[in-house]
Amino acid sequence: MTLKLNRRQFLKAAGAAALGLSLDLRFLLQARAEPMLISDYRSWEDLYRQKWTWDKIARSSHSINCTGSCSWKVFVKDGIIWREEQAADYPAISPDIPDLNPRGCNKGACYVEYVHGDQRVKYPLKRAGARGEGKWQRISWDQALTEIADKILDILQDYGPDYLTFFSPIPAMSPVSYAAGGRLATLLGGVICSFYDWYCDLPPGEPITWGVQTDTAEAADWVHSRYIVLWGSNPNVTRIPDAHFLWEAKYRGAKVVSISPDYNPSSIHADLWVGIKPGTDAALALAMAHVIVKEKLYDEPYVKEQTDLPLLVRLDNKRFLRESDLTENGSEERFYVWDRKTQSARLVPGSTGSEQKTLELGDLDPVLEGTFKVQTLQGEVEVTTVFELLKRSLEKFTPEAMAKECGVHASVIERLAREFAQTKPAMIIHGAGTNHWYHNDLNNRSMILLVALTGNVGKRGGGFNHYVGQEKIWPIAGWKKLAFPRPKKRFQNTTLWSYVHGEIDDRLRGTEWDPWPYIEESVKKGWMPLYPKGRNGKLYDDPKALIVWRGNYLNQAKGNEQLLRNLWPKLELIVDINHRMDATALYSDYVLPAATSYEKYDLNSSDLHTFIHPLTPAVEPMFEAKSDWQIFRALAKKIEERAKARGFTRYRDEDFGVEVDLSTLEAQFTDNGKLVDDKAAAQFILDNADETRGIQFDELIQQPRRFKAASEHWTSDVEPGKTYAPFLRMTEKKHPYPTLTGRQQFYIDHPWFIELGEELPTYKPPLEIEKYPLRWNTPHGRWNIHSTWRDVKYMLRLNRGMPVVYLNPEDARERGIRDGDMVRVFNDFGDLVANARIYPNAPRGQITMYHGWELYQFPDRSNFQATVPIRIKPTQLVRYGHLKFALNYWGPTGVNRDVRVDVEKVS
Amino acid sequence: MPVEPLNQEELLQSDRQLAMVLDLNKCIGCQTCTMACKMLWTRYEGMEHMYWNNVETHPGRGYPKDWQRRGGGFKDGRAVKGDLPPLDDYGRAWEYDYQGVLFEGKSPNIQPDEGHPRWGPNWEEDQGAGFYPNSFYFYFPRLCNHCSRPACVLACPRSALYKRREDGSVVLNEERCHGYRFCIEACPYDKIYWNAVRKISQKCIFCYPRVEQGIPQACAAQCVGRIRFVGFLDDEDGPVYKLVKRWKVALPLHPEFETEPNVFYIPPLSPPRFNEDGTLNDQPRIPEGYLLWLFGPRVREALATLKRELEKVQNGGRSELMELLQARSYKDLFKLDRPPNPKFNEYACASCAIAQDCTSPLKARTAGAGLRVLARTGRG
Repeated sequence: MTLKLNRRQFLKAAGAAALGLSLDLRFLLQARAEPMLISDYRSWEDLYRQKWTWDKIARSSHSINCTGSCSWKVFVKDGIIWREEQAADYPAISPDIPDLNPRGCNKGACYVEYVHGDQRVKYPLKRAGARGEGKWQRISWDQALTEIADKILDILQDYGPDYLTFFSPIPAMSPVSYAAGGRLATLLGGVICSFYDWYCDLPPGEPITWGVQTDTAEAADWVHSRYIVLWGSNPNVTRIPDAHFLWEAKYRGAKVVSISPDYNPSSIHADLWVGIKPGTDAALALAMAHVIVKEKLYDEPYVKEQTDLPLLVRLDNKRFLRESDLTENGSEERFYVWDRKTQSARLVPGSTGSEQKTLELGDLDPVLEGTFKVQTLQGEVEVTTVFELLKRSLEKFTPEAMAKECGVHASVIERLAREFAQTKPAMIIHGAGTNHWYHNDLNNRSMILLVALTGNVGKRGGGFNHYVGQEKIWPIAGWKKLAFPRPKKRFQNTTLWSYVHGEIDDRLRGTEWDPWPYIEESVKKGWMPLYPKGRNGKLYDDPKALIVWRGNYLNQAKGNEQLLRNLWPKLELIVDINHRMDATALYSDYVLPAATSYEKYDLNSSDLHTFIHPLTPAVEPMFEAKSDWQIFRALAKKIEERAKARGFTRYRDEDFGVEVDLSTLEAQFTDNGKLVDDKAAAQFILDNADETRGIQFDELIQQPRRFKAASEHWTSDVEPGKTYAPFLRMTEKKHPYPTLTGRQQFYIDHPWFIELGEELPTYKPPLEIEKYPLRWNTPHGRWNIHSTWRDVKYMLRLNRGMPVVYLNPEDARERGIRDGDMVRVFNDFGDLVANARIYPNAPRGQITMYHGWELYQFPDRSNFQATVPIRIKPTQLVRYGHLKFALNYWGPTGVNRDVRVDVEKVS
Repeated sequence: MPVEPLNQEELLQSDRQLAMVLDLNKCIGCQTCTMACKMLWTRYEGMEHMYWNNVETHPGRGYPKDWQRRGGGFKDGRAVKGDLPPLDDYGRAWEYDYQGVLFEGKSPNIQPDEGHPRWGPNWEEDQGAGFYPNSFYFYFPRLCNHCSRPACVLACPRSALYKRREDGSVVLNEERCHGYRFCIEACPYDKIYWNAVRKISQKCIFCYPRVEQGIPQACAAQCVGRIRFVGFLDDEDGPVYKLVKRWKVALPLHPEFETEPNVFYIPPLSPPRFNEDGTLNDQPRIPEGYLLWLFGPRVREALATLKRELEKVQNGGRSELMELLQARSYKDLFKLDRPPNPKFNEYACASCAIAQDCTSPLKARTAGAGLRVLARTGRG
């Protein structure tokens, strides 16, 4: 929106124009001599004083997947939202810790453009051309809801509830709005898709090693560190509201090291930048581990108590030595160490099968090294410790050998290893730069190994802190109760769903990484769900409907061209609920106008801090928009109405063994009228979670509030005056980790892990499938949160106004490409056109496009995912101990970056 | 209000000087400051290309293009001729046809109305100079320097520019301005802009309406990197005095322009370079010569002080300078010598916008005709 001059300003401007533009000297002299009083002379200053006025301030935030969770003031003038400014009133955690203010960013500072901008969806729209053509018919809410409800009923009648698919990401940014669709999906028995694994934000190494989805320190905790490694993480760009804590940590004496292939915007303030070859991070981490083990720089008492490194492993079958190996009816979930005092294998407490729920070793004195003989039910077997196996496995990861792999000089590797081990507390801040690779689990596990060996996990200022995506929803119990009001749900890993229904060609068939045999086994054994369930012996059936809200599934999907080609035709109904016309909306059948973040009530929280604050409506929803809660409530009501009219009010959900009653659907949705309002739904969340019980929604409007407690979902308490850092319950209270062994588990004895040689953290080079010279890098950018704000003109004007790729100068010169040229990026999967930026800070062989550009920002509608397939790693399909499928906790991640491309100039 | 005659001397005098320090070692180039300023002051017609506050990547040609080589200011006390940058050197504020592409199916993609842009206010973002792996760059936020010897004030034949007596902010009287643009030529920092719709020049006002109410400038108050300190230069208890006068780590940009800026910068440190064999070299990546060009010879002492104090805290010691730069409390960044107007934090009651039976006086003013007009026309 360009603001118009008001009448008074316009008259002045017109007057100035009439007098101006004369460079007549006589006039100049006359002007100088004009008598003037200083009070009159300065009266013009009122012009700007009057501009800085408003009628009211509302507190809101942005329902955006950025982990920012920033509280903002929204200024309203003459009934119109004028601008926003950070509320900057988070209470300090303690006087010693820098506060969070003024939390916000460049994008939050122009969110108002989404309220008034031309991309706004104002009315219910029905497709009037082909999908994606951009031709629409404006229809009434009643018509839209009736047609959608009828189609949903058709699908329920003809197929079943698992043919209805619901996708929405990131409840933390607006849990009520998420819960709206989740609630209707649950009541109908529809499929609820994951997002954290699908976006490849889930670090699989965390469930593998710690049995948690992700647990990280809040950003304020960084200031307690003395040594911070930014590893594949670029907080100056991707964590704008938090970056100050890093540089404040530096002013408190921390050393900051940045490890990244390019000299990125966070590296510029680091004490040391280490340029690494893309995708080789585990090689560097394991070379550091090699030095730490060889030079005995590890924390021996810590690893004995907190990790599985002292546990015994059978050398004959590579499996843990279990109680069931030694005694009849012994547990599969109890494990042994070799006790120095008694020189015998003794059970350790804390494992899943152990009755002692503690990590306290008592009188046990486990050894870390050596080989021992144990009498099992099958006879004598040789056993050793996980540590011994690790030590042997690390032998080959010398700094010299790994220097060749990762491009970091051996002397630098040694220095990093020693400094990291000897400066405490030390932490790794981990990002998508290392998590978006095919072997992301190995990257994670190798780095977690470093922080565990050095005793940094479960310490403030220490640990492996992964910040990608916004998985953490603090008042989780309240949100779950609102979003999924039935005990049985159809949760689906979206990676697998998109991969099979999109018939993704990943070029892995016939290679060692062909996922199909593993997928079939995993689905057949019930390790991973796959909806719709196959009928007549088929593994799966085709989905019929996709309902998307609060997200841009299509635009951000890896392999989105293949999804449009293969998945889209299978879908008889695509509904998008949105305040703006994003790519998914553009390719939908119906688009329903949603309220923006400044037009509704909701809550907002993040894993980067421990405060909660609200979204509130600065104005009523504009045009015909409604909040997500009201849209799904209206849809529930309409389904009920149409079901009654059609005489189809009940159906039996065989898998769940329940009768679904459509004749009372609205009452079920609102819990008999208790949850009619958005605000009531928000209060319901607050009331039903330990973190927020007792907080009234209206209190949050006055000031953000810190969480009052942390439920069992977390690994530490929220303590007044102290920062939140994970795993303190394990180190301070000796609670076991939620893993099979109850310890930080580096050894996974699932047969697939053993078959692939990944029972321990190891290094495998990045994939070499496509025969192209450049690695395609699609990191998170400064001007966008995924696709949000990519289309906003205020942001576009501050970069190049169109999609841009970053090229090393030599790579560009070889191809005759100059800065500002238009170029084509291509591989076997697809191609795209962008503006070329010559970027001296990139190594040769890497080409970067900060992600999120909408399909409709490219002339041929091919975006950054056109060159990317979905690739599924077998180890992420298993079921093992603590590794069971759960929504956004365990499932394949799909990865974005392990592809190669080339680039050429377009004329 | 005292009645005084207006004269040139009067326009240059101020009783106190409000100043700003920007810590380049904390600047993350996020441009929240740029947006804060844009959304508050320069969204009006004719101002689309203006960024009173901008952030550019150094080394680079900047905004407007090559501003450092376009003249203005003084040399040995004599005015240096400057020029008027054409609009293309600022970059055109691109518009996009969202309506046609997204709602009418007219073409496949939104694109800048300029076609193939060749320049913009942040065109060289993150590029810098040098060769991998020893390339270098850093972010440089710029606003009007509110100089003590403002070339713009002296150049204006209309006496339309002046320093505000109470805080030394340099402002441009938009009612007196006749659009001669001598000020644009005179400013060596190119921080005055031409409004082709209103036919006047416009510039940063140092957010005087906010400062008068005890609220820091939008670019400073909204700086999420917490790099900006604001205070009066004569206030010995204020952060600005301490950084500029006592610790001498904050320096004016291009002091050789002789305009005596009141915006100061803490110069950037940088990580070490690599030798050809991949081993580390202890030399900083940013060549000293580049920093000397920007800040003059005093930069050596400033960098040495920063390094010495950093080493103190790295070795477990304490440093008053590091405490100051850390600024634990957001409020410590600013000292305006007057309490903030509480109205600035007055939140509307929860149900204000939607409850029908609300009795708040705010209600009448917010649910008025504006919304309905907006809804009917469908235009923001």
